[in-house]
Amino acid sequence: MFAFLAVMVRKANSYLGRGFGMIRALGPGSVSSFLKVILDVFYVVMWIAAAGLGLVILGLLLISFDPALVTGADVRFDIFGHPPGAPAALMASGGELYLVGLIVIVQRLRKVFASMTAGDPFHPDNVRRLRVVGLVLALLEIDRYAFAALDRYALHDPRAGTMMVSLTPWFAVLVVVVLAEVFREGARLRRDAELTI
Amino acid sequence: MPIRVRLDRILLERRMSLTELADRVGVTIANLSILKTGKARAVRFSTLDALCRELGCQPGELLEFEPGPPDDPELDSLEE
Repeated sequence: MFAFLAVMVRKANSYLGRGFGMIRALGPGSVSSFLKVILDVFYVVMWIAAAGLGLVILGLLLISFDPALVTGADVRFDIFGHPPGAPAALMASGGELYLVGLIVIVQRLRKVFASMTAGDPFHPDNVRRLRVVGLVLALLEIDRYAFAALDRYALHDPRAGTMMVSLTPWFAVLVVVVLAEVFREGARLRRDAELTI
Repeated sequence: MPIRVRLDRILLERRMSLTELADRVGVTIANLSILKTGKARAVRFSTLDALCRELGCQPGELLEFEPGPPDDPELDSLEE
């Protein structure tokens, strides 16, 4: 039974390897260039979302200074469970911080994929870019914890959920940090090869 | 790097230009310049063989060890 399973796994691995081998991962017209286009679109969308949320925060702050602005108006929306006002602005600023972090990550990834599209994945700058991505991923997770705690304990929102500590984001941080080291080794080998006469 | 390449001295002794050596050895002038200025990280045996053959010298005449701390500029640039 185990021998049969081992043979099946080996065959599947072989087919997968052949399948992935046929995919062009680097250079113009490759998967990297396709991902770069997706990241470009995502980057623009996130800037628009960040600008929109910034305007919302500005509006909420204005309302918190002068609640008469919405007195009599039929206000039906809320931000993270808070009616318009200072707490909602605070929570929205947490969301804005999250968006800014995502923009930083996507911007770095765009440059990484641009170098891959150019056929130069082990560019020394990619090491620094991936380290930044790992660091910002960690900061985003901390931002999430901080604002969840703020919502629950400082703003006393009974609807706020319990602060869930998920291992997945931290696993992603570790993977990115390890990848950065792999790229550092690749960049070192590339430079060695360049300066070998 | 404490290993110094004495290419300039040997070229002077042989009264040979870098361009001529590059033509004879089949290595670009840019690469020979990297070797001459000590920026090279490694030398292939095939390159060393060709250099010694054309310059009529031993590898020991081309390379010299100067005691000093090992430097690794590319690692420094990656560490920042």
